[in-house]
Amino acid sequence: MNKKIQKVVRKRRYYMLAVAVLLAASACKKYLPKERETVGADSQYTIDTYQPVLGRTTFFTDNFYQGSTTYPSDFKIVNPRRRNGDPAPELTDVFPVMVWKEAYDGTEKSVAEIEAKRVKQYRPLFEIGPHSGAFTMWAEARSAFVRSQPDSGYLFDVELSNSGGRRYYRNIKLMPLKERPYEPSNYNASTGQPVSNGVYASVVTNIKGANTNRYLSYNDVDVYIRKIVKAGVPATNTLTFRFLDTLYNPIDPAKFAETDWNNLVHGFEKQITATGVTYKMAYPIPAVEVPTRFTTSDGRRAKTRFSYSRLGFNGGRETAVLGLDFAIYEPGDWEIVFAFKNDNPKFTND
Amino acid sequence: MKWLPCIGVLACLLLFAVPTHAQNKITVKGVVKDNAQQTAMQGVTVSTSKPSKTIATTDANGAFTVTIDAGAELVFTHSGYAAVRKTFMASTSSVSITMSVKDNTMQEVVIQGFRQKTKETATGSSAVISGKALQDVPVSNVVELLQGKVAGLNVQNNSGSPGGMGTINLRGVSSINVSSDGFLTPTSPLFVIDGVPVDLNTNYEYGFQGGGAGINPLALIPPEDIEQMEVLRDAAATSVYGARAAYGVIIVTTRRGKSKVPIVQYSTNFFVKAPPRLRDVIGGKEERLFRIRTILDYDTSAAAAQALINQTPFLSDSLNPYYNNATNWQDYFYRTTYNQQHNLSIRGGDDRFNYKTNLNYYQENGIVQNTGFKRYGLSMNAQYAPTNQLRVQMNLSSSLGQKQNGSGVGLIQTGIASGGSSSSLLPPPSLFSENNSALAASRVINNNKTANIATSLDISYEPIKGIRFGNLLSYNFISGTADRFTPSFLSNGSSESYSYNDRTYTLYNRSLINFTKTLYNLHNLNAYVFNEINTYGFQANVISLDRTANDQITGPIGYGWASSRGGTLNNIRETRQHGYGGSVSYNYDRKYVLDFNFRFDGLSTTGSKQPYSQNPSVSARWNFNREKWLEKVSWLSYGSARVSWGRNIKPTGSIFDTYGRYIVGLPYNNNPTVAIDYATVPNENFLPETQTQTNGGVEVGLFNNALQLTYETYYRSIDNQIMRIQLANTSGFNELQTNAVSLVNYGMEWSAMMRMFKQSKPFQWTLSVNGAINKQILTKLPDNLRQIRQEITDGGSNVPIVYRIGRSAISNLIYHTQGVYANTGDVPVNIATGKRQQLGSGTGYYFQGGDPRWTDVNGDYIIDEKDLLPIGNPIPKVTGGILSQMQYKNFQLNINASYTLFRDLLNASLSQTMQNFSRPTTPGALVPIDQYNYWKPSAFDKGSGTPNAQYPNPFDFRRAGVMQPFRSNQTLFLEDGSYWKINNVVLAYNLDRKMISRLHMTSCRLTLTVNNVYTFSNYSGPDPELVTQLGRDNSGGYPNARSYAVGLNVQF
Repeated sequence: MNKKIQKVVRKRRYYMLAVAVLLAASACKKYLPKERETVGADSQYTIDTYQPVLGRTTFFTDNFYQGSTTYPSDFKIVNPRRRNGDPAPELTDVFPVMVWKEAYDGTEKSVAEIEAKRVKQYRPLFEIGPHSGAFTMWAEARSAFVRSQPDSGYLFDVELSNSGGRRYYRNIKLMPLKERPYEPSNYNASTGQPVSNGVYASVVTNIKGANTNRYLSYNDVDVYIRKIVKAGVPATNTLTFRFLDTLYNPIDPAKFAETDWNNLVHGFEKQITATGVTYKMAYPIPAVEVPTRFTTSDGRRAKTRFSYSRLGFNGGRETAVLGLDFAIYEPGDWEIVFAFKNDNPKFTND
Repeated sequence: MKWLPCIGVLACLLLFAVPTHAQNKITVKGVVKDNAQQTAMQGVTVSTSKPSKTIATTDANGAFTVTIDAGAELVFTHSGYAAVRKTFMASTSSVSITMSVKDNTMQEVVIQGFRQKTKETATGSSAVISGKALQDVPVSNVVELLQGKVAGLNVQNNSGSPGGMGTINLRGVSSINVSSDGFLTPTSPLFVIDGVPVDLNTNYEYGFQGGGAGINPLALIPPEDIEQMEVLRDAAATSVYGARAAYGVIIVTTRRGKSKVPIVQYSTNFFVKAPPRLRDVIGGKEERLFRIRTILDYDTSAAAAQALINQTPFLSDSLNPYYNNATNWQDYFYRTTYNQQHNLSIRGGDDRFNYKTNLNYYQENGIVQNTGFKRYGLSMNAQYAPTNQLRVQMNLSSSLGQKQNGSGVGLIQTGIASGGSSSSLLPPPSLFSENNSALAASRVINNNKTANIATSLDISYEPIKGIRFGNLLSYNFISGTADRFTPSFLSNGSSESYSYNDRTYTLYNRSLINFTKTLYNLHNLNAYVFNEINTYGFQANVISLDRTANDQITGPIGYGWASSRGGTLNNIRETRQHGYGGSVSYNYDRKYVLDFNFRFDGLSTTGSKQPYSQNPSVSARWNFNREKWLEKVSWLSYGSARVSWGRNIKPTGSIFDTYGRYIVGLPYNNNPTVAIDYATVPNENFLPETQTQTNGGVEVGLFNNALQLTYETYYRSIDNQIMRIQLANTSGFNELQTNAVSLVNYGMEWSAMMRMFKQSKPFQWTLSVNGAINKQILTKLPDNLRQIRQEITDGGSNVPIVYRIGRSAISNLIYHTQGVYANTGDVPVNIATGKRQQLGSGTGYYFQGGDPRWTDVNGDYIIDEKDLLPIGNPIPKVTGGILSQMQYKNFQLNINASYTLFRDLLNASLSQTMQNFSRPTTPGALVPIDQYNYWKPSAFDKGSGTPNAQYPNPFDFRRAGVMQPFRSNQTLFLEDGSYWKINNVVLAYNLDRKMISRLHMTSCRLTLTVNNVYTFSNYSGPDPELVTQLGRDNSGGYPNARSYAVGLNVQF
């Protein structure tokens, strides 16, 4: 390069000129639309009445039609109120709730291991997913302080906002149902009162009546799921299975000889006595609604099967199965009783 | 007889005059040489300076002999070269005059607004590429060579298909319309070839749409015949081209005769095309064991694994012919080819009469089996100017292209994509094996031809000084045929005969009255009015016969009559355009230039409410180097600033969008009916696409033009783009074609040319650098929507695209991948339900170690469509090129490089490759996997494994079908597609003149060329250029081949 070039290159004002030109080129940008998210006119809550059962954690998902709204977006519950317009502090105040921090998968070896996977946090009892619009009713909400049906419950609004604007979905209804601490349930959903004595067993197969010599059916077995509360004694979170004959005398569980007692439920420290089988449990049962070896295939119920076998009339071996698919949502000392009300099962060979 | 005294006086004067001067007459003999190439220059005009009078021209050896007065100045001129002036005092016989190519770009002739003017008075933005830069590199389509040559012109050679074309865009992508199979509507500039407009966007669909010969009209232009190409960028320069000029104009001028002595020039190239490096695959036994190991390791149980292996004969049945093969499939498809091209050009003449005839032959065999392209061209032009007042110029060009497409349709080679990625365990292609894509590629008989005749006649007449009438008439006719026969053994026993033909014509006529006036030598005024018409028609017919009698007889009818088809395709098109307007151009002493254009354009496709659109443009130029206060600045050779604003339109949509359509309806009382087509409602407000552009530019030449700089900045808005919207079913119609999309492009372009050494030095080095930054923003969508999503089925990635206001024109809608879950425990757990994050709602597929960590945008612990995000911009932000020309004596070395920076590519090809690992029982090619950092489980626990793996577990085949860890719509496959490419290197040697003069040649040039030399890129796929305009590497493309050429250029 010759010296003239170098001289010009050194002069500062040419750089200034270049910068000015570049600025001029970039100046037009501010008149262009900015990239923003969208709040869609067609986006909508697809469910406007939420009826969670109190005493269990209910997670309402897939309840918002995204439409042309773009994510990430923010969702917020605004102005939760009782039907008469009074404020509803029970929905906005924070309560200690148990939340999962690690995934339960059914392979845990002790109650402590399960308990280590969840932790206590302080949260409002009714929450919205901050970006998904999904609702959660925590199990710690009780009819004692949360309005439940037949009360008409609560109203609330949801604010959807993102960089494209905001929109309100008004008067979404929350009408909780009273606690039904176990399933299958004999409680009426809205009154919370029992409507029958017991529930039916899920499986009654090949159980022959000792006296009638006929195969017993669902109508011959009453199942009672009940919480044992001993005054002054703290609950130890156990589950006991008992079997009663027609005279309400206990049947020795050992008679259900082919039962896989070790894997009957996801319980620990099994104790078999002549009157019942007791496990230490982590509640709720099932702990998480995922399929494990202890649950039904959809994971929503614990699956218990009691069985024995005997030689039948023509010498064939008959395997009898008594089973119950159940769920228990409240911690405590629970008892599941199978009462043979019309005839006793026949354990002997023909 | 009153004249006699005068004659007497004159005679006396002569008597005195002759003796006094006769003694000073001298004879000058010499040779004129070209400084750059050191060759003799033929046809150089030698004239005296005072008075200006031509006295000789140089002969074929560049020699001249003149007799002049001693002390007179001689001027040597030749078009394109700087004039040389020399004063001679005494006789001499060995003068050597060296002429250099004119490097003052201000004197370059540009064509803007139907007129040739010097660049100094042109107010629009344009760039000129000399034809010399387009020679020496044998390519089938000259557009390939434009890559990196002009700032703002983005050429992507995304197909190596011979006779095809990549994509070409000026100042960014101008359309957001993407076909459902994933191709962006082409927005190529309008080409005007010797006055004949060739619009690549209207009909030539880049060979994708199945029909057609797949030959690009530009592939029929011999590059050797091009004198120059001029790229018009801004609205002021293109305004008079009106409709169709919205995306810029490229004017191609072929060579003309300009030497009194006829020139016969022959050039040839022999070149070898070599396939790119093919990918490594696992073959034979290793592949089989690999598959078996996958099944054993990842099946649900050992028994299931054993069962699956035993059910898969090519893995377990040693008596099966599919067992124990090791076929190198890629070998069956790719080959090295030997090709040639020849060009013979005969030209000569002067301004009064000149002529040129050019003969061209080009033959290229594609590197893919059964593909190739041949071009035969014969073109001529002539100019007749019996007086200065009448000028007739005519062009006639005919060419024939012939192409084999193999099993693909031009650009896309799906047969090879599927065949080339077959498992090595499949037996090699034969009549008896099932996988016949290889055989199909080589045995399908296809023959595609495109014939093109382009003519133009330009007459101008100037009856009164200053007023010139002109008329340009051009007619362009293209006929394409495609014949394909697939024998029965290739398609399940039913042969198929396909025959296609199409016709395209363009008739263009422009009449012009031009007025020129110069006052006081300072005020220059030019004005004209014009009227132009353009008609265009296209029609294609197809016959497809199913199951002909046998594989030798391809007709007349097939016995599979139910699936035989024939008739005119529905892309038939017939359009009319009419434009009229005027232009005024004024300049004051060539210092201040002001242009004003106004035109009206009517289109047959525009709605009846406003058939004509008004397109004004205003532009100005200030040549500040002519200002007094800068005259003293010696280092400033020239300097000017330009600014322009203008509007242009582009016809879009079809006549049916405007007027609706009648179709054949259901029969009524056994009579045929004609009914209204309820698919699209007529839109009488339908408008053409409108482009409004503002442009500013600065041009500076420094240090005696050793450094020339150009800077441009622009802002253009493309409005009224079409998009179909769905109508409510109560309207009776399904869709409405609207004009509701707008897009803004803005950016800047710069180019610099440096001459490193003084022109007198033997070693010369010229370095040119150019670049462009382009940004685009979508500014409007129909129905005031902010975002629209469009599904794409491109046979590879199938990733939907999203249009979002404020973003770049097109974005891919993909999942954001944040690595791989090293352990199952790392998967987030829904705090309410205690479940791990899952795929889809209720599928029961929970994430675990080895699965990709996709961002859960809405935090619902479910990965589904709601978590898709618009990420990445497939349209390059920065493009440009570097050109280096070095010369030492008779040697020349030219290197062309180009770059494309800041674009995001989706490596769908890698996605497919990785997916093959999760299909152990499907015969697809497996590549060596050790090169990838993928997740491997630890020995004792399948739930935990490699930390910080880049790729998920590829072998978990039982879950992969649903989980799709290698789905292409994720950022895992989004890569930076920036690349630097050495386009070509040319080494040329001019043989010494003395040596060749014995053979009576005037010039002989030998060249060695390597084209498509090397691409530098961090992109992990094979070629970052070989992607669709949506930035997807779908692996179905035609690879670009490197070619090595030896060339010879002889001139007599």
